[in-house]
Amino acid sequence: MKKAITSALFSMFFAFGAVLAHAADLNLTIPLPLTGKQAKFGEIQKRSYEIAAAEINAAGGVKGNKLVLKFEDSGAKPDIARGIVEKLIDVQKQPIIIGEYTSACAKAVAAVSEERKTPYLVVVSGNDDITQANYKYVFRLNSPNAYYADGVLGFMKEVVKPKTIAILYESSDFGSSGAEEMAKHAEASGIKVLLKEKYESGAVDFKPILSKVKSLRPDVLYMVSYVMDASLLMRQIKELRLDANLFAGGAAGFAIPEFIDNAKDASDYVVTSTLWSPQVKYAGAKQYAEKYKKQFGDYPSYHGAAAYAALFVAKDALERAKTWSPEDIRAAMKATKMQTAFGPVQFVDKNGYQNQNFIPTLALQVIKGQHETIWPKSMASAKFLYPMPKWRERK
Amino acid sequence: MKKYYPFITLAVLLVLPLVGFSTYVMHILILLLMWATIGMSWNLLSGYCGQVSFGHAAFFGIGAYTAGILYSKGAISSWYGLPLSVLVVGVFAFLIGLIVLRLRGPFFALATLASGEVFRVASENMAWLTNGTQGIMLQKRLWVSKEPYYYIILAIAVGTFILMRYLVGSKLGYFFVAIREDQDAAESMGINTTLYKTIALVVSGIVTGIAGAFYMNYMGYIDPHIVFALHDISIITIMIVMVGGVATQWGPFVGAVIMVLLQEMVRSVESLGALHMAIFGLLLIFIIIFLPNGIVGDLSKIKRFFGIGRVKA
Amino acid sequence: MVQLEVLLQTIVSGLLLGGLYALIGLGMTLIMGVMKIINLAHGELMMVAMYIAYWMFTLMGVDPYVAVFIASPVLFVIGILIQKYLVTPVIKVESILPENQVILTVGIGMVLVSLATVFFKSDYRSTPVDYASTTWYLSDFWANSPIELSVSLLWAVSFFFAVAITLALWFFLSRTDMGKQIRATSQDSDAAILMGINVNRVRALSFGLGAAIVGAAGCLFIPLYYLYPALGGQFTLIAFVITILGGLGSIIGAIVGGLILGVFESLTSTYVGMGWAPVGRFVIFVAALVFLPGGIASILKRKRLGK
Repeated sequence: MKKAITSALFSMFFAFGAVLAHAADLNLTIPLPLTGKQAKFGEIQKRSYEIAAAEINAAGGVKGNKLVLKFEDSGAKPDIARGIVEKLIDVQKQPIIIGEYTSACAKAVAAVSEERKTPYLVVVSGNDDITQANYKYVFRLNSPNAYYADGVLGFMKEVVKPKTIAILYESSDFGSSGAEEMAKHAEASGIKVLLKEKYESGAVDFKPILSKVKSLRPDVLYMVSYVMDASLLMRQIKELRLDANLFAGGAAGFAIPEFIDNAKDASDYVVTSTLWSPQVKYAGAKQYAEKYKKQFGDYPSYHGAAAYAALFVAKDALERAKTWSPEDIRAAMKATKMQTAFGPVQFVDKNGYQNQNFIPTLALQVIKGQHETIWPKSMASAKFLYPMPKWRERK
Repeated sequence: MKKYYPFITLAVLLVLPLVGFSTYVMHILILLLMWATIGMSWNLLSGYCGQVSFGHAAFFGIGAYTAGILYSKGAISSWYGLPLSVLVVGVFAFLIGLIVLRLRGPFFALATLASGEVFRVASENMAWLTNGTQGIMLQKRLWVSKEPYYYIILAIAVGTFILMRYLVGSKLGYFFVAIREDQDAAESMGINTTLYKTIALVVSGIVTGIAGAFYMNYMGYIDPHIVFALHDISIITIMIVMVGGVATQWGPFVGAVIMVLLQEMVRSVESLGALHMAIFGLLLIFIIIFLPNGIVGDLSKIKRFFGIGRVKA
Repeated sequence: MVQLEVLLQTIVSGLLLGGLYALIGLGMTLIMGVMKIINLAHGELMMVAMYIAYWMFTLMGVDPYVAVFIASPVLFVIGILIQKYLVTPVIKVESILPENQVILTVGIGMVLVSLATVFFKSDYRSTPVDYASTTWYLSDFWANSPIELSVSLLWAVSFFFAVAITLALWFFLSRTDMGKQIRATSQDSDAAILMGINVNRVRALSFGLGAAIVGAAGCLFIPLYYLYPALGGQFTLIAFVITILGGLGSIIGAIVGGLILGVFESLTSTYVGMGWAPVGRFVIFVAALVFLPGGIASILKRKRLGK
């Protein structure tokens, strides 16, 4: 009896898959975390994919095929992400995989795609390993973690010229690799790392560690945090009157609007690296940002812009590919050379990375409650404010 | 008829891959067998021996890391982690047992829960050994096709099934149940409760550890948040057995089938969105209230409800 | 001198953090003490209260500290409903393992998180009150102070609320008739039935009360933290640690336990590493389980009996 039930369930699966395959022209299912801690970032991306899909369809779809997007919730769990992608490749015969958010899930998906020889476009997962594993079918749109801090580093080297640095980071793949890269860069340029400590994300009280930082008097405090940890950190830094020449953040939490909403005036003068900002001068960036803001009330972060651009990259590759066989799509992806709202896209093999897109990373500064691009100078939307006043002197 | 059930099931499971399922279905089957194995091991300690563990993630994670560290530090195949994890997890389970087995009931449950968390945070911090939060990734898994993995986990599951059947049917099994029903009475009858509880814990831990080592080999990537997860490993294990049937031979299998398939099906209906978790939660609540002994344990109740007198299987 | 400053600041923040922890743990110690059930949905109940406080602040401009008086009663009712319609039926049914109810609470937690995600999205929210960053500095009061210490208003308020609620609850449990019934039920429910106590009513009441307290905790917590649907889990664990450390059902134990835990965690963060703080938390937890089975309450009791 059990067997009968099981087989009935399986046939339901198949039936379900079959329905999907015939319902529309080009189905793309995107695995994303839509529940759990990372759901916020999943949602930013989901919205952006949808904006992109609407634009693509309005302009005639992909080679005349209407693009139909679906999303599956992986809950940021790698085994579920893996299952979803196996289904996409096998049951749904999807020609290209896009998506995921956390590095752990992206690793799992990358491994499946490579084994099954299906092109996979990594959208925002930062871990360096993903494009250093000699995978042929894995492409990455965002710069790897090692490059995230480039913008901030440039600003630091030319303007701040620090001698010492303290690094705080959250205990995740993203946090620890970001912190490690910063420590490496700092040591290479003669900056002494006074302290490098991690914390469990979601921590309530950072004051003990911050008062230790205060006693060390670093020139720069660099923090790699997701979302709200970032605003808590800055609020508590203000409460402790911990002064440094520069407070810098490594993308993610510091670069989204919620950071300013929640940290309020404690966020002033904070510099953060980011891969993108609504003020960048890439074609289409502003339109996308405004469209997003109009629909959802806030400007999107780089996560959204990357997702938005990813769909256009996929469309571009699918249109250039001779056939929609994995091999042809892979070749087309490899030959990609286009401008997107996220920046120029080209997948190259360089510095030990394969199929990696390198875009210049920026530095943002919170100026009068707004994220402004301050570095590199050529892309700046406002002049940076430096030096910043001590806490005691602020009102 | 009843005594042929295991053989029929085994035969079905052996030929199942020959049907030519897609890799997705095979993936689900592999997960299903893995969860059934973990469920059986939990069932021994908690179902038969009555020591409800909330920390099986600890054993799962240690097993997975044994395999992973062999690969990343020892530079040998992580498959050796399967036999090695028997030893490693055995030692750790024994040590954990020294602490937690002094406690009873909810206190035992909470202490095991804490042990899982301690291992998670420790493995995050001991980056020199575990590579910290960046986890361990296999450059290349041994096989691409699913069949080898399927047969390996099937062998593990069948081995576990036989082991559990043997243990529960032996004198040990009676001691276990005696401890569950009334530990003080068991003690006064001259049963060395500490010894038998330790045996149950170590055996249970080892089996879960092997499953963990298999997971590493199969998934090719682990990090502390994944393999030491409280909700995604420890709690799911409990649910599988509770839903399937505590202290029954088939409970873990049925539970794994229901949990894995249900979760997968509810999740893939996109229109539900985030609501799929709520539906899943409601089903759990329903099962717990109306079938407190799980599907297998309350089979007669289910039959009565549907008005089926005799069921031919 | 600098080291002393670090130490003192660490201890001050530890105590404040401990007050907050105690507040979260109080509700659980009541529920676990009376009903001996492990409530894995505790943090999710707090999340619900935080959403109430959040919406009242955002839509009506109600201060989160005022929202306590709305959120707590709502949570009280939710608690009673959960106890009456979900927990009681599960406890009544015959099952091999009594831990059935744990799954029930996991299920309840899942439903609550999922509903919150559906209705409120997974956005991160907070209530930016005007006085959010008001802080007192030692140097403001004593200009030549050799060291600098700071205490944030929000943290101080939550600390005093925690103490106040503890005292009120302690008074309720030890002085009122209903409170005595609760304590009797918690010590021996069979005997309580024989004494003519309506145990079911007492249980519903204490679950409601526990939920109301964690509701209050949520309202006090939201101004200094933030809110998203999946926030509950980690606080459930902290509440457990405090409950065990303090002793099941002991109100004074919970607050002492909370303070000890807060200071211990802060010291770990400063002197061992913040990444290790959660390990410290669970080590203290297991140590309390093994070496101090009755929790801090048992020490207090021993003292009072003059042993």
